[in-house]
Amino acid sequence: MAEVRIEKLRKSFGAVEVLKDIDLTVEDGAFVVLVGPSGCGKSTLLRSIAGLEPVSDGIITIGGRKVNDLAPAQREIAMVFQSYALYPHMDVAANMGFGLRFAGTPKAEIAARVAEAARILQLEPLLKRRPRELSGGQRQRVAIGRAIVRKPQVFLFDEPLSNLDAALRINTRVEIAKLHKLLAATIVYVTHDQVEAMTLADKIVVMNQGRVEQQGKPLELYYRPANLFVAGFIGSPAMNFLPGKVTPGGVDLGADGALALPLPAGAVPGSAVTLGVRPEHMRIAGTADGLRIDATVELVERLGEMGYVHLRLPSGAVAIAEIRGDVGLGTGDRTSVALDPAHLHLFGADGHRIA
Amino acid sequence: MPQGTYLRLLVFFLGPALVLYSVFSIYPLLATILNSLYSHQKDGSFLWNGLGNFHTLLFDPTWSEPFWNALKNNFVFFLIHMLVQNPVGLMLAALLSLPRLRFRATYRTLIFMPTMLSVVVIGFAWQLILSPLWGIAKMFLQTFGLGFLFAPWLGEESSALITVSLISVWQFVGIPMILIYTALLAIPDELIDAATVDGLNQFQAFFWVKLPLIWPTIGLVSVLTFVNNFNAFDLIYAMKGALAGPNFATDIMGTLFYRTFFGNQLQLGDPSMGSTIATMMFLIILIGIMVYLFLVQRRIQRYSF
Amino acid sequence: MRKPASAFAVHAILGLYTLLAIFPIVLVIMNSFKAKRAIFNTPLRPPLPETFDPIGYSRVFGDSSLPFYYLNSITVTVGTIFLTLLTGAMAAWALSEYKFRWNTLLALYLSIGIMVPIRLGSVAIIQLVAEMNLINTLTALVLVYTAQNLPLAVFILSEFIAQIPRDLREAARCDGLSEYNIFLHIILPLIRPAMATVAVFTMIPVWNDLWFPLLLAPTGGKQTITLGVQQFLGQYITDWNAVLAALSTAIVPVLVLYVIFSRQLIRGLTSGAVK
Repeated sequence: MAEVRIEKLRKSFGAVEVLKDIDLTVEDGAFVVLVGPSGCGKSTLLRSIAGLEPVSDGIITIGGRKVNDLAPAQREIAMVFQSYALYPHMDVAANMGFGLRFAGTPKAEIAARVAEAARILQLEPLLKRRPRELSGGQRQRVAIGRAIVRKPQVFLFDEPLSNLDAALRINTRVEIAKLHKLLAATIVYVTHDQVEAMTLADKIVVMNQGRVEQQGKPLELYYRPANLFVAGFIGSPAMNFLPGKVTPGGVDLGADGALALPLPAGAVPGSAVTLGVRPEHMRIAGTADGLRIDATVELVERLGEMGYVHLRLPSGAVAIAEIRGDVGLGTGDRTSVALDPAHLHLFGADGHRIA
Repeated sequence: MPQGTYLRLLVFFLGPALVLYSVFSIYPLLATILNSLYSHQKDGSFLWNGLGNFHTLLFDPTWSEPFWNALKNNFVFFLIHMLVQNPVGLMLAALLSLPRLRFRATYRTLIFMPTMLSVVVIGFAWQLILSPLWGIAKMFLQTFGLGFLFAPWLGEESSALITVSLISVWQFVGIPMILIYTALLAIPDELIDAATVDGLNQFQAFFWVKLPLIWPTIGLVSVLTFVNNFNAFDLIYAMKGALAGPNFATDIMGTLFYRTFFGNQLQLGDPSMGSTIATMMFLIILIGIMVYLFLVQRRIQRYSF
Repeated sequence: MRKPASAFAVHAILGLYTLLAIFPIVLVIMNSFKAKRAIFNTPLRPPLPETFDPIGYSRVFGDSSLPFYYLNSITVTVGTIFLTLLTGAMAAWALSEYKFRWNTLLALYLSIGIMVPIRLGSVAIIQLVAEMNLINTLTALVLVYTAQNLPLAVFILSEFIAQIPRDLREAARCDGLSEYNIFLHIILPLIRPAMATVAVFTMIPVWNDLWFPLLLAPTGGKQTITLGVQQFLGQYITDWNAVLAALSTAIVPVLVLYVIFSRQLIRGLTSGAVK
C-alpha cells in the first residue's frame, strides 16, 4: 500500500476550471472520503488520480512515484465504478482476472488470486455466472473483487453504493469498512452521501466548486466546520443559520434577541456575522442557559422517538429543532427554543469560522 | 494520451472506412458531376463544355423530349407511391399496432416479405400473373363478374406506368409500414388511456393523438420514398427492359440514365450525357432532401415521451 | 378491440392484405413444380402427384452456370458484410469514443452517403473499376457495396457503441488494455447484436441488387444470382417451367434467410427508428 500526494492540482475544460489548486495527502493505509454536492469536482479528482482524466497542472504521486504521465494501468490503482462496469460478456471469474490476463500474469497465479478474492468476498458459488445473473449487491462485490485481485497500491471508489437500495447500502458500507481493516488498504472514496462519509472515513475532504473547503477527521468537521459551506453540508438536517451583528459583548440577532458570547480579538463590533446552530442543539422549551427565542410552529415531523419541528422565528427566519418524545406541539402553536451555548458556531461575513 | 499515439489511433480506426468510402462513393459522385461539364468526342477524348450538356439536355429536342418524359413519368411514379404506398402502409401499421391483436407477428412478417425479394423476381412474377397468356388476372376478375375490365395493362401505353408503379408499391409497402408501426409502438399506452378517459374512441384517439405524434416519421418516410423513387431502375429494367416500353411510357430517370450511358439499339453510349443525367438526378434528389430538411422537418413538432 | 365485430374487420383487412402480399410468391413456387399443362389449366391448385413435374428445375440446374452464380452471390454478400462490419465498427468506435476537431464534420461527410444514392456515381465508378482492372471481378462489387453500406453501418454501430457505459471502457483502461485491445475484447463482443442488424441490412440489398452486377460484372461467369436469373429469364422467356423454376430458386434462399432473421431484422428496424 502507498501514500497518495496531490500538489497544486488544476484542471480546466476550456475556460472552466473544474479543479482549482487541490492539495491533498492520503496517508498510507488511510480511508479518505471525498464528499461534496454534484459538480463539485470530487469525481474528476478521483478520475485524475486514476489517470482517466488528463490534468492541466500540478503533481500526483502514488507511493512516491510521480504518475502524471502514466496510463491508468501503470499507476497500480484499482477502481470500483458507480455502475460496477462489469464486462457483460464474461463470467465473474473472467471479469476479476481480466486485467491480470493483459498484464501477462501466469494463468495459475490469476486463478489463485481470483480464488482468494472470491473467498474474502464470499463469491465462490458465483464464479461461473454472468453479471446479468447477479443481484445488485453481488455485482458490487464482484466489482470490489476485481479491484482486490490486482493487489493495487490504492483503491479508488466512485460512489459505489449509490445504485443499491437502502438496506443493502448499509450492509455493504459495513462490508467495505471491514475490508479496509482486513486489507489495510489505502482507499480514496467518492460519495455525495455524508452518512457514508462520516461512518467510513479516517479523513473527510469536503469539496465545493473545484476547491477543497476543509479536510479533517469526521468529528472535527462536525464540531468545528471551517466555513459556512462545510457547516451546512455536514449534518442532517442542515445547520440553522441566523444572521446577526457583532456587538461589544456578543452577537445581536435583531428581532430574535441578543446573545452574550466571548468573541475573538479582531471581531469588529458592527460587522455582519452568521450564527450557526444544529437542530440537535436547539431545544424546544428547554431550560435557558443561553439564548431563548420565541417561535411559531410551522410543521412537526415525527420519525418515531425523535422528530423535527420547523419553526418560524420573530425575525422571519426559519429554523429546525430536534425533539425527543412527544412534546405535544402542533402547527400554529407558539413555543420557544433554547440554543445550547456549548455548540454555537459563528461565521464572519466572508463565511469563515470566527468562533 | 500523447498527440502522436492519438493520431495513430485515429488513422488506424478511421482510415480504412474513410478510404473505401471516399474512393468508391464520394469520388465517383464528384467525378460524375465533373464529367457532366465535358463533352465526349467520337475519338474518345473529352472536351470542356461548361454547362453545354445541360443546355442540350433541356433544350435540344432529341434530348429534352426523353428527359421531360422520364421526369414526368418519374413524378407520376413518385405520386402513386405517396398516394397509395404510404397511406396503405400507415393503415396497416395502425392496425398492426392495435393492442391485444392476435397473430400480429405473423401478419407483420408476411406483409414485409415481398420487400425482401429481388425486384427482378417480383417484376417477372407479376409479369406472368398479368400476362394474358397465363390469364390468372383475367380469371380473378371473371370470378367477380368483372372479366370485361381485363386488359394487357403492362403492354398498353396508357396503363403501363400505373401498373408498374402499383407493383412497386406492392413490393415496398413494408418499409413505411414498419417505420410507422415502430413510431406508433413508441407512443406510451398511457396517452391512449388518457384519450379514452377523455371520451375519445379508437378512431378519434388515432387521429387526434397518435397521428400528430408520428408526423416526423411520416415526413421521413416521404423523403425516403422520394429518394428511392428518383433512384429507381431495377423494376422497370427487369419488366420492360432498358427501352422502358411501350414507347417509353415507363421510362424514368434511372432507365434514361442507363440507356444514355450504355447506349442501346437506338443510340451509342455517351458517358458525358450519362453523367449529365446522373447530375440532374443528383440535383433533383438534393432539392427533395433540402425541401424536406428546410421546409418540412422544421415545421414538424417533435415530442419526446 | 373489445367488440368482436371490429376485431373481425381488423383481421379481415390484415388477412386480405397478407394474402395479396404472399399470393404471387406462393403462386410462382407452387406452379414451378407442375407440368406445363397443369400450369395453364389449373394455376391455382398446388402440385398433385398427377401434375407434379420437376422439369423446370432440371432445366435450370442443367444450365451449369447457376450454381456458380449462387457462389458468386454468396461470396459478394459475405465479403461485403465482413468488410462493412470490420471497417464500419472501427470507424464507429473512433467517431464515438474520441472527441477530435473533425468529429462532427466527418459524421456529416459520411451522411452524404446515406442521403445520396451511390448509383449516381456509376459513370465514374465504371471508369475507376476499369482503371483498376477489376471489371468482371467480384472484388469490384465488394468494394462498391462496402462503400455503399458503410455510412449507415457506421451510424447504427456508433449509436450502439455510445450506449456502452463509459465506466466499462475506463474499467478496461484501468485493467491495462490498449485502445486496440479495448476495441477487440470489449467493444466488438458487446456490439454483436448491432452487427447482426447491420449484417441483415447489408445482406438483402446486396443479394438483390441488379444495377452494379449489370454494370461491373455482367459477363465472364462472375454474374450474381440476381443478374444470372435475369439473363436466364431473358433466354428462356417462353419456357414457363424453366422460368418459374428459375424464379423459385431465386426466391427460396432469401425466404429461408428472411424467416430465420425476420425477428432480428424487425428488431433492428424498430430499435433504429425508436433510437
